Amino acid sequence: MRYESITEAIGDTPLVRISPLVHGLKNIDLYAKLEMLNPFGSVKDRAAWSMARPRLDGAVERGDTIVELSSGNTAKALAVIAGMHGLPFRSVTNRMRVPEVKDLLLLLGAQIEELPGQTECLDPTNTDDPLTRIHRMLSEADSGYLHTDQYYSPLNTEAHLTGTGPEILRDLDGRAPDYFIACVGTAGSSTGVASVLRRSNPAIEVVGLVADKSDFIPGIRNIDEVHEVGLFDPDTYDTIDTVTADEAIDGLLVLNRRCGMLAGPTGGGAYHGALRHLRAVDEELTERRTAVFIVCDRIESYLSYVRQRRPELLNQPPRRNSVATLTEAELAAVTSIDVDAARKWIAAEHPLVVDLRGSFAYAALHIEDSINIVDELFEELLHGGLPFGKKQPVLLACPVGEKSVRYAALLTRMGHPDVRSLAGGIIGWRDAGAPLVRD
Amino acid sequence: MHLPPLYLDPRVEPLLRSVLQSTDLLHTLVDGLGSPLNLVLPEQIVASVERFRAVYRRHHLSGGIFFAHKANRSSALVRQLAATEAGIEVASLAELQHALGAGFTPDRITATGPKNPEFLWLAARAGAIVNVDSRAELLELVALVGRHGLPRVRVMLRLSAFEAPGVTVLSRPSRFGTPVAEVAGLLEAVERHGDAVELIGVSYHLDTIGLAEKAVALEACVKVMDECRRRGLRPRAIDIGGGFGVDYLADEGQWQRYTSELGNAVLGRRPALTWQGHGYGLRAEAGTLRGTLGLYPAHRPVAAADYLDELLSLPAPSLGRPLATLLLENLYDLHIEPGRALVDQCGVTLAKVLQVRHTSSGECLVRVEGNAGDIGLEARGVLMDPIVVPRTGGRPGPTEPVGVYLVGNLCLEADLITRRMVHLPGAPAPGDLLAFANTAGYAMDFDADHAQQQPIARKVAAYQANGTWRWRLDPQYWPNVPTGEAQ
Ligand SMILES: Cc1ncc(COP(=O)(O)O)c(C=O)c1O
Ligand SMILES: Cc1ncc(COP(=O)(O)O)c(C=O)c1O
Repeated sequence: MRYESITEAIGDTPLVRISPLVHGLKNIDLYAKLEMLNPFGSVKDRAAWSMARPRLDGAVERGDTIVELSSGNTAKALAVIAGMHGLPFRSVTNRMRVPEVKDLLLLLGAQIEELPGQTECLDPTNTDDPLTRIHRMLSEADSGYLHTDQYYSPLNTEAHLTGTGPEILRDLDGRAPDYFIACVGTAGSSTGVASVLRRSNPAIEVVGLVADKSDFIPGIRNIDEVHEVGLFDPDTYDTIDTVTADEAIDGLLVLNRRCGMLAGPTGGGAYHGALRHLRAVDEELTERRTAVFIVCDRIESYLSYVRQRRPELLNQPPRRNSVATLTEAELAAVTSIDVDAARKWIAAEHPLVVDLRGSFAYAALHIEDSINIVDELFEELLHGGLPFGKKQPVLLACPVGEKSVRYAALLTRMGHPDVRSLAGGIIGWRDAGAPLVRD
Repeated sequence: MHLPPLYLDPRVEPLLRSVLQSTDLLHTLVDGLGSPLNLVLPEQIVASVERFRAVYRRHHLSGGIFFAHKANRSSALVRQLAATEAGIEVASLAELQHALGAGFTPDRITATGPKNPEFLWLAARAGAIVNVDSRAELLELVALVGRHGLPRVRVMLRLSAFEAPGVTVLSRPSRFGTPVAEVAGLLEAVERHGDAVELIGVSYHLDTIGLAEKAVALEACVKVMDECRRRGLRPRAIDIGGGFGVDYLADEGQWQRYTSELGNAVLGRRPALTWQGHGYGLRAEAGTLRGTLGLYPAHRPVAAADYLDELLSLPAPSLGRPLATLLLENLYDLHIEPGRALVDQCGVTLAKVLQVRHTSSGECLVRVEGNAGDIGLEARGVLMDPIVVPRTGGRPGPTEPVGVYLVGNLCLEADLITRRMVHLPGAPAPGDLLAFANTAGYAMDFDADHAQQQPIARKVAAYQANGTWRWRLDPQYWPNVPTGEAQ
């Protein structure tokens, strides 16, 4: 397939069957609409292009900045589109809680502004919240901004009315599915698709999925927040259901490991929510039915999200020479010396003094002739083996003499004969009036 | 339509619970001293200090815990605090006088905010730490020291307008402090006037619950401290102000349900939950909720000492080390100024029910002796149910749950204790008390006034001796002094 521009590759995503061996439904064929295969990586490519395209020429002429309130995928797509057209892109958000997404946006050249947290000393009469102020600024004429306004723009829904929805119909040979399940962020994709499918099959059951209220799933809203979305109309959905972060991760694991679909949390959430809903009706069915859910984006950007919630999924086997495996006895056997003894030892035998603090702190003040190996790096070095000879006596120093004891114990276990820990650490050293220098 | 009641039960810890269960004592006190009445629990503030100190220990940090006095005027709380290791943060001449009189030695006092000449003079004369708000204030202090031949004053520099690396973290602009961008001029002045002031550190106080903003500010302070060292100054401490928050509610589910239903009520999907459809900042536009909920996040699983712990565990935005590690390895002390969080669970406001009646439109109004100035929860955006303390004897058993509006003792249409309908497990009767738990932070005396010559609530310090509750009028309470009562 040959294209003139990458934007032509937006849309026409595959509809792929989930094996009944995986989902276990007897009477329902379940299909995933793989929106993650859009060129910038998500379902939002369609909306971003649909909202930006008609206004791009004017914006380029004026040199406007594209701006959107987005937590990730819309921002990603808009950043690319803006970049392709030589325009700056700014994302304003209070929801960007996934570091990889943030870094990727910076890499793409986006400017990110994070809204301030709620005030601690609340003045309930103050209605001038930051979001309202931004909206006011954006809606001024000649503001210099192209505000795509994804939560309200009909062009968002339009992308799915003309693209996603008809594609699903076409791939099912013109017969709309009996069930359609999607996560709700701006509601653009679910509203557009549902409307096309319902026109063809008025009996279709549409399930909208939102996050549990106390939970956070990047990209979608929780049950309260959907009411703040202009495109959200409760009548679009026959059922609004919640999924938890845990369920979303369970779902993505099945898609990732068993179906070869590298879906992110909302894809996993949609799979989980779909199965929960369909299992309840499957037994009662007497004829075959079809269901479709949307896989919005890919897993790679959410590794820290998964690590935070389910660290065991990313666990490595324990590494050798690790401080985590030290015993109380090994720690108790360490030679700790106080500041006085340390100064005498330094004068007499010139041990290597290793300062385990961060480089910023070391640069500010340190023991003369000490070298700086920050603890994280030191730990990494020790996984590989002793980083200095056994004839070289070593004095380890950290802020209060706690970490240095651990590393001294580890070095001793690794066979070093004369490693000592500075009791009380650099703070003890300072408090004893011993000299610290700055270069 | 019969909808289930939407309770917002206060989180009540054992000490506060115990005093709330002393029904006879509460009625005796209100009968004798009038309604409304504030009760403070000096023992509890000692426990709060210890909780913060435990976080310091966990991170091996040292430094002062300074109570932000503005949260409560009580003498009993301040005197009790003077008997602990804590310090105090004062923001006015009267607060400074109060602290000195309660037994705080000047080394345990830090004076913040913009200062009038009298406040500045007494702080300098006594030898308190002066948290300098601006360059002009620094010069005023220097002149004052010179004019009166005072000893060198220990100062901290309050900073503001911090900038984050990578991502712009927007913060509300602050009226207080010197923008970090202007710090060079300030440091030059400190160096030039080294005979009058001794720089012990830098500070900030951000009015936000956002941890990211505070992480940016704290790291920026570490960098300014380094600049101080480079100039040969020897600062030791960073003061990160207050704003650690309080978890007011016992049950997360209640809070989630309540806020969902409030949104539904504003959208017209259920009967109103508030007086004349007030939306607490929310409004409906074409079936969509607009605006921002102007409420304190009353359910905060991570608040007070836990919030400090979380902040200290965050990585510094550009240097990467956890903030606690960064402070520790740069050999800096950490000062904090918790107000609300330190008086968490330290008090309760009592108001007597005068009348219960129904309006022609069927609303149940409960009129109490007291007004919204006395019971300052609503003004702070804190939604929390009062606890009904029935008059003993002569009450029928539990009645049906009711939704009531609480109205006050002023002849103002707007004098509602809260604009929301309060659901109670049973209708109160005249003579019952409503106990508003956990009001010691900003909700007791911050807004109280003499409107209509109504009396301002008296304050009583309640404490335990030999397993029973005792009390003193607040000005009569001193810690650790034999009371002479029959043992
Ligand atoms: C990861 C992810 N999933 C799902 C959605 C929901 O799509 P829509 O905004 O069309 O409701 C979004 C949209 O922001 C998203 O980023
Ligand atoms: C300088 C300063 N420190 C501390 C506080 C106390 O804040 P909180 O009660 O939220 O802890 C305040 C409150 O306004 C303040 O201005």
